[in-house]
Amino acid sequence: MLKLIIEKELREIIGSTRFAITFGACSVLLLLSFYVGARNFQISMEQYEASKREDLRKLEGVTDWNMVRDLRIFLPPQPMTSLVMGVSNDIGRTVEIRGSGELNGIESRYGDDPIYAVFRFLDLDFIFQIILSLFAILFAYDAVNGEKERGTLRLTLANAVPRSSYILGKMAGSFLALAVPLLIPMLLGILILVVMQIPMKGDDWIRLGLVVLAGYFYFTVFLSLGLLVSSRTEKSSTSFLYLLVFWILSVMIVPRTAVLLAGRAIDVPSVDQLASEKSRFSASLWQEQRKKMSEFRAPENTPPPKMMEEFQKFMSSLGEEREKKMSEFSERLNEKRLNKQREQEELAFSLARISPSAVFSLVSTTVAGTGIHLKDLYKAEAERYQESYAEFIRGKTGQNPSGGMVFRFSTGDEEKKEPINPHEIPVFNFEKEPLSASFGSISVDFGILILCSLLFFAGAFRSFLHYDAR
Amino acid sequence: MESTAMFEAVNLTKQYEDGVLALDAVSFSVKPGEIFAILGANGAGKTTTINIFLNFIEPTSGEARIGGVVTHKDPLLAKQKVAYVSENVMLYPNFTALQNLDYFARLGGRNSYSTEDYRNVLRRVGLEDGAHHKRLKGFSKGMRQKSGIAIAILKDAPAILLDEPTSGLDPQAAYEFQRLLESLRNEGKAILMSTHDIFRAKEVANTIGIMNKGKLVMQRTAKELAGENLEQVYMKYMAGHVN
Repeated sequence: MLKLIIEKELREIIGSTRFAITFGACSVLLLLSFYVGARNFQISMEQYEASKREDLRKLEGVTDWNMVRDLRIFLPPQPMTSLVMGVSNDIGRTVEIRGSGELNGIESRYGDDPIYAVFRFLDLDFIFQIILSLFAILFAYDAVNGEKERGTLRLTLANAVPRSSYILGKMAGSFLALAVPLLIPMLLGILILVVMQIPMKGDDWIRLGLVVLAGYFYFTVFLSLGLLVSSRTEKSSTSFLYLLVFWILSVMIVPRTAVLLAGRAIDVPSVDQLASEKSRFSASLWQEQRKKMSEFRAPENTPPPKMMEEFQKFMSSLGEEREKKMSEFSERLNEKRLNKQREQEELAFSLARISPSAVFSLVSTTVAGTGIHLKDLYKAEAERYQESYAEFIRGKTGQNPSGGMVFRFSTGDEEKKEPINPHEIPVFNFEKEPLSASFGSISVDFGILILCSLLFFAGAFRSFLHYDAR
Repeated sequence: MESTAMFEAVNLTKQYEDGVLALDAVSFSVKPGEIFAILGANGAGKTTTINIFLNFIEPTSGEARIGGVVTHKDPLLAKQKVAYVSENVMLYPNFTALQNLDYFARLGGRNSYSTEDYRNVLRRVGLEDGAHHKRLKGFSKGMRQKSGIAIAILKDAPAILLDEPTSGLDPQAAYEFQRLLESLRNEGKAILMSTHDIFRAKEVANTIGIMNKGKLVMQRTAKELAGENLEQVYMKYMAGHVN
C-alpha cells in the first residue's frame, strides 16, 4: 500500500506543470550557481596570483633586507568559498605585514565591487535557503487539504487505506519526487566544476556533500512542515498563507531579529572606540618617548658612524619598548572586544537557531569554511605568519622589522651589494579550519534540522490520523 | 443469527458537538441484489449516513455495518467490502482515465487487472475508447462520473455506496447509469444510494427511504409504492404531514 501511494505521489508530482516550471527554474539556478562559483574561483585565483607576483616584483632590485617593507599577504581563494560564499566577500582579503603590530584585512570583495554587495551572489546557500524552501512549500502546502478540496482524499480513504500508510506515502513520495530530480542539476553542477578544472580536493568534495545533505534536511523541514500545516487546515489557500508567513519569519525576520536582540543585550565596544583608545595610548607613549629621545647623548668624540649606530640602537630599543607596550595594550582591548563579540555571536546564533533557515545557513557556511570565524582564522594565520616573517627579517638584518625609521650612514665607498632574493621570504599558507574542528556545531545544526523534520512530520502524522476527510 | 444484509444501519444516531442531531435512530438494511434509495432534502441526513458507513465520522450511538462488520470498529475490513461513488467524482486530473483506474483498483486491493480489463470496464460504463488515454482534467462531469463508476466496478466489492450519483448528469447519461445499476444489482451487489432524483429512484430501487431532519420517516418497497405518485408521497413526508 505504501509503495502504491509513493508511486502515485511520484507520478502526480512529476507529471504536473507546477513541477515542470519549478524544477526547470531550480535546475537553471543550480547550474548557474555552480558555473558562477567556478568562474568566480578562476577570476579570484588569477587576481590572487597576480597580486602575489606584483608583491615580489616590487622587491626586485632591492639590495638591503632593511628596505623590505609592507609585505602583503592574500587570502587564497578556495573552491568551496565560491560555492557557499558566507562572509568570504565581506572580509578584507589583503593584509599588510610589517613584522609587528596589529593586523587588519583590507580590500574585501564587496568593498572593491560594491555592486555585488547590493544583491549578493547566487550561491548554494541562497538557492537552498530561499529557492528550494519555497519549492518545498509550493508542493506541500496542499498535500492533504488540496486532496480534500479536489475530492480525491474522500475516494482514497473510502478504500481500506490505513491513514498512517497514506501520510507516510505522501511524505516519502513528495520527498522522492522533489529531491531526487534535484540531484540531476547537482550532478551536472559537479560536472561543471570538473570541466572548468576547479581543483576540488577530497576534503572539498566531502564539504560539498555535507552542504547538499544539509540542504536536503532543510528542504525536508519545509516539506514536513507543509504536510503538517496542510493536515491541520481546511483550505489550501489558508495553509499556503500560514506557510508563507512561516517562511518569511524563518528566512527574513528571525535571523535579523536575533542579531538585533543580541546586539541590544550584549554591548560590544566598536572598532572606532578601540581605535580611539589605542590612539590615545599611543600618543601618551610618544610623549613619554619624545622626552627620552631628547635626552639621548652619544659619548663625546664618538665617530659619526659609531654615533649613528648608537642612535639606531637607542631608537630600536625605544621602538621595541613602545611596540611591546602598545601591543600589550591592544591585545588587552582586542581580547576584551573579542570576548564580548563571541558572547554576542553565541547569543545571536542561539536565538537565530529557532529558524531552520538560520540553522541551514550556519551549517552550510561552517562546512564550507566561510562562516563567521573565517575572519578570525585568517587573522590568526596572518599573525602567525607575521611572527615567522619577523623572525626571518631579524635573521637577515639583526633588527626587528618594527616599521620605524631606519638611519643609514653612507660614506659612498661601500661595495655594490647584490640584490636580495625575494623568494627567500617565507610563503604564507592559509589552511582552512578542518571539518573536525567544527564537528560539534555542525552536528548540533544537523541535529536541529533532523529534529525539526521529525517533529513536523510527527505532528502531520498525528493530525492526519484525526483529519476530517469528509 | 448471522445477518445476511450487506448494509445495515441499526439505530444509527449522530449528534454533532454543536448539538445538531443529524441522525436520529435510523435503521435499515440492504441485502445482496437490492438497491436501497434514500431520498431527502439537503441536510436530511443522507450524507451523514454515508459518512458513517465510510467511517469518516463515528456514530454517537447505534451501528453501521457492512457485510456484518461494524464500520467504526473495524473500518479497514468494512471498507474492503464496499465501493464508493461520490456526487462529484474527482480523480487525479493529471492522470489518464486508465492511470486513475489502475491506481484506485490497486488501492482497492485489485492488483491483477490488465489494461484490457480496464478498457473493458470503461467501455461498459460508456466511456469511449478515445478518452481512455486522455487526462482527467479535460473530462466533463458525466465522463468523470463514468470513470468513478468504473472504479467502483473494478473493486468488485459486494456493497456499493452511491452519493447522489446522477446529480448533474444529462438524461441520456442518467439513463445509462440506471441500466448499469440494474446490471450490478443483477450481479448480486447490494447498493445503497442517496439521491434527489425521485424518478430515477422509483425506476431502479427495490426499496425507497425518505429522510427528514435526521429521521428515516418512510421506508417502503417499490412494489408497495407501485400505484402511488412518489413525488406526492415525498412532498407529504417532507412537509411533515405523515409520521
